[in-house]
This record gives sequence, C-alpha cells and structure tokens, in this order.
Amino acid sequence: MIQRGYSERDIHLALDGELPPDDLAGFERWLAANPDMQALAQRYTQDRQQLVGALEGILAEPVPERLSRLAGAKPRAGSDSRHLFRYAAAAALFVAGGLAGYLVAPQFSSATPPLVQMADNAIDAHLIYSNEKLHVVEVGADQRDHLQGWLSKRVGVKLIAPDLKNQGFELVGGRLLPAGKKTAAQFMYQDATGNRVSLYVTRDETGADTGYRVLEERGARALYWLDGGYACAVAGSTPEGTLSAIADATYKQLLEDQKG
Amino acid sequence: MEERQAAILAEIPRMRRYARALLHDLDAADDLVQDSLERALTRLDNWRSGENPRRWLFTIMHHLFVDQFRRSKRRAETSLLPLDNSEAMAQPAVQFGHAANGEVLNALQKIGADRRAALLLVAVEGFSYAEAAQMLDIPAGTVMSRVSRGREELRSVMDDASRRRAIRVVEP
Repeated sequence: MIQRGYSERDIHLALDGELPPDDLAGFERWLAANPDMQALAQRYTQDRQQLVGALEGILAEPVPERLSRLAGAKPRAGSDSRHLFRYAAAAALFVAGGLAGYLVAPQFSSATPPLVQMADNAIDAHLIYSNEKLHVVEVGADQRDHLQGWLSKRVGVKLIAPDLKNQGFELVGGRLLPAGKKTAAQFMYQDATGNRVSLYVTRDETGADTGYRVLEERGARALYWLDGGYACAVAGSTPEGTLSAIADATYKQLLEDQKG
Repeated sequence: MEERQAAILAEIPRMRRYARALLHDLDAADDLVQDSLERALTRLDNWRSGENPRRWLFTIMHHLFVDQFRRSKRRAETSLLPLDNSEAMAQPAVQFGHAANGEVLNALQKIGADRRAALLLVAVEGFSYAEAAQMLDIPAGTVMSRVSRGREELRSVMDDASRRRAIRVVEP
C-alpha cells in the first residue's frame, strides 16, 4: 500500500468528516508522530466545541410567534396542523429523554420545561408589576438591607439587589412572589426615563450552569440562566443589549456576593 | 401542504441559530429568518419532494443574507459586517451569555462574512462540503478553504483576545 503524505489540510478534513475512511488510520499515525499537529487538531476540536456550545442555547429558545405563525398558520377546516407538531414534539421529547427535554420548542409540547416556565413567570411578573403605579414593590429601596435579608430567607438562597447604576438603573425595591410550590424574589429597577426592568430569582436545586437564553413574548423579553444555585431572569421591554449588560452585572454580583 | 409546513416549522430553531451566529443580533437574525420563511412559503412548488427541507431553507436564507449584505454595503451601513473589514464591528451590539460564550461569538464576528458562513454551515450545522457548496453556490474546494481559513482566523482572534485580557489583568 502506498502511504500518502499528510498535512495541516487533513486536520480540517478530519474535523469536518471529509477525510476518506481509508486515510483515517494513516492520519492518526501521522498525528501521533507530530505533536505540534496533534496539539493543533485538539485546539480546533476545542474551538468547535466552544462555538457549538455557545450557540446551543438558541435551539432551546421558544420560536417567536411571528415565525411559528408564518410556517404553521392557517390550518384548513377539519384539520389542525398543530396536532402534527405536538406529536412531533412529544416524539422528540421521548427520544431526547429527561436530559434534553427542554430542547423541544415549548409551545408545541404539553409540558413546558421548568427553565422556560421560570422565564415565562418572570415576564408575567414583570408585566404585572412594572405597570403598577402605586404599589410597584412591597419593600422599597430605602430598606435595602431588610429587603435583601427578608427575600434571602424566604427564597432560600443568599440574595442581593445588584447595583445597576453603571447600566443606568436604580433599585425601586422588591417583592416576594409564588413560583409554583416555591418562592421567587423580584427586584424592580427604573432608569431616568422611567423604563423598568426586573430581576426574578428563585433557588435552583439542579446546580446546573447554563449560558444566557432569551425568551420573547407579549412585547417583553427575558434573559435567563442557571448558575451557582440561582435561577435568574432579567425581564424588560428594553433592547437586548441593555438586558444583556444588566444580566452580566447581576450574574457577577450575585456570585461574588455568594463567595464573599 | 401541511406536512411541508410542519417540516419547515421544525427547521426554525436551526435557522435562528445560523442567522444569529451570522449576524450577532437577535432582531436582525429573526428578521432574516422571517424573510426566508416568507420566501420559502411562496415558493413551496420549487421544493422538490424528497429534498431535505433544511438544505432548501438554508439555501434561501443564504441568498437573502447575501442580498441584504450587498444592499447594506452599498448604503455603507455598518449594521452588517463588511466582507473583509473586521474593525467595523469591534463592539458587537449584543453580548452573549457567559464569558467563554461571549468570547467565541465575538471572535466569530471578526472573521470575514464568507468564511464565517462556511465555517458555521460545516462546523456547527454539520453540512458536508458538497452540501455547503450547493448552498453557497461555490465549488466544494472553495468551501474547504473558507472553512479552514475561517477556523485559523477564529483561533488567532481568540488568542489575541486572551492576550489582551492577560495584559489587562497585569495592569491594575
């Protein structure tokens, strides 16, 4: 058998599944004999994992209605195309199992996954209380220490109302909310023009660590995530960039406080 | 008809992922997906039965992206990244996720759009060179070189970013 020579090009081919099967063994031998090339191959593999991981959350986001309506709209009389999707979603849920159950677009499955449910609750609570004129919060920002202590005790995790001055938002105060059988804390913030954003936090027992995910509905959006025992959502009708900056500050301050 | 719509609907999450990675902006990405779906639905007849809906939809989406791109270039808008000018979007409008996620996605925006598209189609969406070639309307060899160059650029942009971070940490 004639041995062919290998080069960096083959690293890309192998990574992309384009290396002919007959060349694989030779390629592996070549890699083993060339530590530099092996390191490069590992690096590219790692970069790809990071890239795929960073984008994975998007698949789990619920499809915005303006898009799903386009593709699924106008079922003809006597038939409801949505049933079809529900079957498909249920089948996918079955196959994916508990591990990735929430990868299925939630509006098409009968059981909304807990994390999306949390974000949905956060948007509900935001829409209800941010539009409140007189009773926006139960405990005002003037009693910040009391507010943080009380909500930490009731929610069961150490909570702080993050400082969002750098993002242009001042704390208005907070309140305790029911979250299924648990409790949630809501901290309300307001900017100089009266725009409000709220932070919704519950205790997370899974210990999972997700990236940010986005849920958009009813004219509001929530950026939500799990980390360090917190399930958090930042909700508002502000641009995603603003929400994202608030989420970054919140994420950092919550975890710092937990360590300190 | 309804089977076709169901098949299209099932592809939306992937279309959103590709569009978001390409454009780095939630609203612009969903606009692109919406335009693609609208175009797809008016051209259902062009969809050959048995043809993979994903490939068909991604091809439509890519054509729209390129059109949009050319228009925005003519108008000299900076909302889309010019093909070979990485500085225009040094500060992306949207920061994604946690530090590591943000890092790789920011780096992705700094590589040329043609290489970014090829890299995403192959390395993230899992299309073969031949499939990507069909979608991008270029030879498979060109796909291969765009993917490998994109990968090299991504690595060097990420290395530069981590070097800059190291310098910041040293300077109090």
